Amino acid sequence: MTACFHCGLPIDPRHQFWVEIDGESRPVCCPGCKAVAELIRDSGMSNYYALREAPEPGAGRPADDAADWRAFDRDDMLEAFGAIDGDDAEASIYVGGMYCAACSWLIESTLTKQPAIESAEVDPVTHRVRVRWRRAGTGLGRILDTLTGLGYEPQPLAPESGLRPEVAEQRKALKRLLVASLGMMQAMMFAVGLYAGDFEGIARDMQLFLRLVSFVVTTPVVFYSARPFFAAAWRGLLRRRPGMDLPVAIAVGSAYVASVFSMLTGGEAVWFDSVTMFVFFLTLGRFLEMRARHRSIDKSAALSGVLPNTVTRIEQDADTVVPASRLVPGDRVRVRPGEAIPADGTLLTGSTSVDEALLTGESRPQPRAVGDALVAGSVNLDGIIEMRVDRTGPDTALGTIRRLAERARYARPDFVQLADRIAGWLVVALLGIAAIVGGWWSVTDPERAFVVTLSVLVVTCPCALALATPAAFSAAATRLAELHLLVTNGNAIEVLARATRVVFDKTGTLTVGAPSIVATSGLDPARSEADYEHIAAALEAASTHPIAAAFAGRAAGVRATDHRIAVGEGVAATVDGVRWRLGRRGFVAPGSPADQDDPSRIYLGTGGRLCAAFDLADSLRADAADTVHRLRTIVPAVSLASGDGEAAVSRIAASLGIGEYRSRCTPQDKLDMIRAAQRAGDTVVMVGDGINDAPVLAGADASVALSDGALLAQTNADLIMLGTSLTPLVTAFGAARWTMRIVRQNLAWAIVYNVVAVPLAAAGYVPPWAAAIGMSASSLIVVLNALRLSHYAD
Amino acid sequence: MSILYVLIPLGLLMLGAAVWAFFWAVGSGQFDDLDTPAMRIVMDDDEKPPPTSDT
Repeated sequence: MTACFHCGLPIDPRHQFWVEIDGESRPVCCPGCKAVAELIRDSGMSNYYALREAPEPGAGRPADDAADWRAFDRDDMLEAFGAIDGDDAEASIYVGGMYCAACSWLIESTLTKQPAIESAEVDPVTHRVRVRWRRAGTGLGRILDTLTGLGYEPQPLAPESGLRPEVAEQRKALKRLLVASLGMMQAMMFAVGLYAGDFEGIARDMQLFLRLVSFVVTTPVVFYSARPFFAAAWRGLLRRRPGMDLPVAIAVGSAYVASVFSMLTGGEAVWFDSVTMFVFFLTLGRFLEMRARHRSIDKSAALSGVLPNTVTRIEQDADTVVPASRLVPGDRVRVRPGEAIPADGTLLTGSTSVDEALLTGESRPQPRAVGDALVAGSVNLDGIIEMRVDRTGPDTALGTIRRLAERARYARPDFVQLADRIAGWLVVALLGIAAIVGGWWSVTDPERAFVVTLSVLVVTCPCALALATPAAFSAAATRLAELHLLVTNGNAIEVLARATRVVFDKTGTLTVGAPSIVATSGLDPARSEADYEHIAAALEAASTHPIAAAFAGRAAGVRATDHRIAVGEGVAATVDGVRWRLGRRGFVAPGSPADQDDPSRIYLGTGGRLCAAFDLADSLRADAADTVHRLRTIVPAVSLASGDGEAAVSRIAASLGIGEYRSRCTPQDKLDMIRAAQRAGDTVVMVGDGINDAPVLAGADASVALSDGALLAQTNADLIMLGTSLTPLVTAFGAARWTMRIVRQNLAWAIVYNVVAVPLAAAGYVPPWAAAIGMSASSLIVVLNALRLSHYAD
Repeated sequence: MSILYVLIPLGLLMLGAAVWAFFWAVGSGQFDDLDTPAMRIVMDDDEKPPPTSDT
């Protein structure tokens, strides 16, 4: 089989087209390729075919349903995707389907041949072309059309919206860290010379020179690297809430000023080495803490990158490509396979499967049929579909996830606020101690008073104490978000760690919220129970009622015809010439006693005679039993509360091994049950679906909700598990306990360190440089210990 | 030892040059991503995007 001269795909001999290039007739596979090849030939660019590398089959082939770019000629579109500069305009376009250097040559020469286009620069590495044109002569839409005509898939790019704030923050922090580290190394080097001079003797000139160069390398460290500490200390003073930065600022500032004074007056010693080392270690600790914070921001930035820039909107006369940001609820859009769903909406035509891994962690493709909900950010895998837009931008599930993740990051749990307050008091107390120590030494030994006071100030800085809790909490929240658990209330972690009772809601939480067959009983021995199931499934095949889902896939080849649906009663159809009825007892066998009507039981019959009964029940989630079992090893008490009937609830409770359960609960009953447990001294965590039971969840000490994408925006809980699996619940409890363990370790370490170090420093046994190492090492230990949470796995 | 009066300032000049070079590198975005370069060694180059079919 011959390959297409243009795109390299094999040619179906029955549909072969020819194009004449360089005096030779070449075979092409379709009218599209023919048109493109002719366009290239007529532009005098047949060289393309000589220059290009062997084509990847299909590359450059025009898409059958090429996009319509006309809307992009308008000025408002240009504002969204380019920049207007007087009479000129400029835009960046991503060119899909570009695969070799010849492509960039083709694009550049085709574009620059147009008189209105001033320049076109192709970057073959990033597949981008930067075009500048006169607005009077052409427009962005026509340029995109040209590229589409060449067989590429152009995608206009929204202009870069400046530097992301966290990137800017990281750049600044890196520069500060580098200045501090180089300054520290240099100052230490000169300090070695000075210390050696103290023992071996040193010329006064040389000593002054070494002090002078130490001063030169220390000054940028103090005024550049340590600036955030001074700024934070000043802010704390203004708000009358001294933070951990105040002692740092006092220590760094006074040591620097004293060293400069000593240098100028030829004093005993300088402390430039201690100053730089102190600043370096503090900056390093802050840098590590910042990186831990940013890791979760990167996660949500990744979430925002998944939405398409442009979408195909279906309008009355034709499809138009519009920026995704212009979509409004009610729009109809077409999504092709491989494209991301641009907004939350409803599937209108076609059927497909979608990949929602980004939102729920579920990696298997999820089938979607007409009427099903689609979630922005999931990827359409199979079919070309049309969807109606229901929610856009920040209202979508994706937007909600981002907002919740954002909130969790900035929320300061009560526990952390308490630690902050204690640290604030501690700072005041430590400044007092330093003053007393300074006063005492200046009476007994005025020469050493400054050095000792400096050591006390540095060594007691409560940085470790102030970092102990927030570092652990932010590391835990980040790790949980990676495991698709969103902490929306910082207190949740602390409550989960000390929870003594977990109360589950049943429907939609432990169960999937849709019925399935739990028992089939034959009432007429003429056929087997399996036969009855097949017949019932064939009858339900045409129904969209939720009960029909229970029978899906059980027909085993049995076909029914002539379906008739009686709304609220049941369904009738003919199988092999026999008329069957499936539904409520009164519908299948008219005249039978109504008081035996049980909503969870439906009947199959023929000719007014009951033949079989099916007991339906909401089925348990696959991992419910395992989750409850593992939870019981962590939490002392697990109970179940449900609005369903006694039989259904006791059956579920028994199969999960839950001893305490309540059936036929109203929301008020559930709330009372939680209150009673709380009065008995329990810390209660309620697990529900977060929508119907929101008031109950609010009554518990902490609440957890299971949510898949579509309903996320209405979900209200302290901790939200994304997806349909219960297993993350165990992870959440485990991670919470580990977090609190790390917090306790950190606090214990900080306290023990201070209790040991302060008396030693006050007694004058700790030189300033050792104090700087001790204090910095202690806060580094705390941060690194908290970062262990980033690797938590159960 | 008077050579130190030349060598130390010379060292400081080189230090200044190194700091300038680093600031330039940070400013041009070379340190914006500190995580993926470490991973790149284990990534496959020939990974194809998931297959799509226009049916």
